[in-house]
Amino acid sequence: MSARTRPETPSHKVKPTPSRPIPSRPIPSRPSLPHKWRYTVGRLLLLVVVIVSIAIVDARWERLAEAPPLFADYSRLMLEGIGHYPGADPYLDYWSMAMDLMLESLQIAWVGTVIGAALSFPVGFLAASNVAPPAVVFAVRQVLNVIRAIPELILAIAVMLPLFGLGPLAGALAIGVGSIGTLGKLTSEAIEGIDRGPVDAVRSAGGNALQVLRWGVLPQILPEVVAFWLYRFEINIRASAILGVVGAGGIGSLLSQLFDRRLWDRIGITIAVIIVVTVIVDQISGMIRHRIIAGPKPAAPTAE
Amino acid sequence: MTILALTPPAPPEPPGIRPAWPRPRGSSWALLAAAGAVSVWALIGIEFDLRPLWQDFGRGWFIIREFFSPRWPFLVRTIPAWTETLSIAVLATLVGCSIGLAAAMLASQVTTRNRLVHRGSRLLLSMVRSLPDVGYGLLFVALVGVGSLAGILALVMFNIGIVAKLTAETIDAIDPGPLEAADASGADGLQRARMTVLPQILPNYLSYCLYVFELNIRASVVIGIVGGGGIGSVIQVELNRFNYSNLSAIIVLLIVVVFSIDQFSRLLRRRII
Repeated sequence: MSARTRPETPSHKVKPTPSRPIPSRPIPSRPSLPHKWRYTVGRLLLLVVVIVSIAIVDARWERLAEAPPLFADYSRLMLEGIGHYPGADPYLDYWSMAMDLMLESLQIAWVGTVIGAALSFPVGFLAASNVAPPAVVFAVRQVLNVIRAIPELILAIAVMLPLFGLGPLAGALAIGVGSIGTLGKLTSEAIEGIDRGPVDAVRSAGGNALQVLRWGVLPQILPEVVAFWLYRFEINIRASAILGVVGAGGIGSLLSQLFDRRLWDRIGITIAVIIVVTVIVDQISGMIRHRIIAGPKPAAPTAE
Repeated sequence: MTILALTPPAPPEPPGIRPAWPRPRGSSWALLAAAGAVSVWALIGIEFDLRPLWQDFGRGWFIIREFFSPRWPFLVRTIPAWTETLSIAVLATLVGCSIGLAAAMLASQVTTRNRLVHRGSRLLLSMVRSLPDVGYGLLFVALVGVGSLAGILALVMFNIGIVAKLTAETIDAIDPGPLEAADASGADGLQRARMTVLPQILPNYLSYCLYVFELNIRASVVIGIVGGGGIGSVIQVELNRFNYSNLSAIIVLLIVVVFSIDQFSRLLRRRII
């Protein structure tokens, strides 16, 4: 079947003759562009904030130009430090000291996370609106917010170091108490996100409140909560390095002393140890977390 | 059957009726045992000993009591340090988040189809993230000297790590529809990123920027202690002079500031997302 019987001329080429007037259609007007003034005002505001900040900050910007060659020098020194792998004798000590202190940081972070997890678990229940009465929920939530607002460093300086003296214990306790804040909040959010089905099932089978929590709520939140604990452990490793700077043990104290004395080769070794250990622990913890949340890999199909 | 058996005995249960009592798998016990062993090793390693809590309480109590009597007039002298801290946080957030966005695009499989580049960027970013902010603070103080410039640069590096990781994960999770549309109409990588990826991730990205701004305020304490300027250096000075009552005034104000920024950012986040 032929598509056309007669070539059609486009309408704009057809001259309107009196015998065949083209009905004029109203040409739809182009929709107006959305207003951009909000964007512009926002960007101008941002520019003002930036300029004001630069003015206030009173930084010595000229040092920025001197930095790259210095950085190249120091990097070279640091890499040389790493390059002298434990063959030479003093370097063995440097590597082993860095490893020991890094392990101490890991221990601080682990103990802190365990304390934080153990204490935050019941607190999380108290802060969940589907478990605890509203007054309790509100009070506990505010307490958790305040705890979260205190940087762990301050907690360590103000409370733990005076009480327990210098050393890793103060750091672990500071991290532990500080973790209660975030872990408590995340646990309570996990509890509030559960499915009501199992809870109703336990209740209808005659369970009391504790049994409802143990069999209806706990299995639903446990994977998520354990994943939070592992994630918090990763963060706490970095926090323990920071606390070391004020004397709470771990790799931070070594790092700050080495920087004071400008021993670039040992600094390179220490930074290398920090990075390698942190990346390894992050990967392991990430794999465990993924396995917990996503479940084991399905067995390979046996058919075919 | 004796007369004592008043009810007929129940017929033997056919197998498979009663569901098996759920028992944790062997691997769960192994994991738990491993966690327990690690905990014991860690507790021994840090010499866990809560006895000072009730033995040496007097020594620490004196300091804590000083902490609970803050000297408020001292705060007036710290106002310049506070504005410096805020400016450092603002600048570090801006620079860090911009670079972080570019780094995230490089590190995500969605926007960078070259496998080597995106895997390599992910590895590089995880290395950048593994040095804590205090490490960058010390490094930049050694490079550009004590002062707020070191603080800004250290926080920038700290921010890039966090923002890039979070944004890269968001980019991995976006809707592929608009991406295919962009590819079908012939967009190259950069146009595709600007037109289809960016609008989808923008709310999440802005919330990460706010989060990082909050983190910067909290990190400014430790950055200042190692020499990066801002309220942290004031804290360091007061700590060295054992002026615990001054210190407690600063700490209370810090907690209030962090708390209010947290609430404010939660409000803002609700309006963005």
